[in-house]
Amino acid sequence: MSQYETGFIVSSHLAEDETTNLIQQLAEVVAQKKGRLIKQDVWGKRRLAYTIKRQNEGVYVFFTYEGGGDIPQELERRFKQIDTVIRYLTVRKDARDLVRRKKKARPGAEAPPAEGAGTPAGEAREEK
Amino acid sequence: MPRDDRPEKGGYRKYFPPKKKFCRFCQRNVRGIDYKAFEILKKYIPDRGKISPRRITGTCAFHQRKLSMAIKRARLMALLPYLED
Repeated sequence: MSQYETGFIVSSHLAEDETTNLIQQLAEVVAQKKGRLIKQDVWGKRRLAYTIKRQNEGVYVFFTYEGGGDIPQELERRFKQIDTVIRYLTVRKDARDLVRRKKKARPGAEAPPAEGAGTPAGEAREEK
Repeated sequence: MPRDDRPEKGGYRKYFPPKKKFCRFCQRNVRGIDYKAFEILKKYIPDRGKISPRRITGTCAFHQRKLSMAIKRARLMALLPYLED
C-alpha cells in the first residue's frame, strides 16, 4: 500500500457540470479498486504557463489516495482515453515525507510550516 | 596617507561584503518540496525561467535536488514556464 497523488488538468472548454461529472467518475475509480481517497483538491480554472493543445486555461484537480499500484495505472489509462484531460501527473508520496520530523530547537527558525512544503500561501509568507 | 585610511583589500568587497547565504528550506526544517507550492518555486526561477544554481541561492545539496525535481514537475503541469521571454 502506497500513497499516491495524481494531478490532472481538465480542458476549460468543458461545461461546469460535465467537469464535475468527470471528476466524480474518476474518483469512483479509486473506490472501485479498493483504494481510499484521502483528499480531493479542485483548484478551479487557472491560466496555464504555456499553451497545451491550443488551450490557455484549464481546471486543476488533485487526488490524494492510498492503495495498490493498479489505481494510478487505471486512472492513467482513462486519462489517455478522455480527450478533455490535457495533462496528468502521478507522484508516489515518499513515506519519509509523510512523517513529521522532530522539530529541532534552533534560535533562528521559528514556527516552521506544519508538514513538508505546505500551502503556497503558508510558506510564501515568511520568505522576505 | 595614514596607514589606517588605506584600504586593506580590493575596493568592491570592502564596501559591499557578500551577504551570508543559507538554505531557506533547512532554516524552516522542510523535508520534501511539493511541486504544487509553485509560489515558492517561482523564487528560484528568475527572469528566463531557468533554475538558479546553488552558488547563487545558497540552497543545500539535499534541498537543491528536491527543488529541481519539484520545478520540473511543476513545469510539466504548466504551473511554471519552461522558458520565458
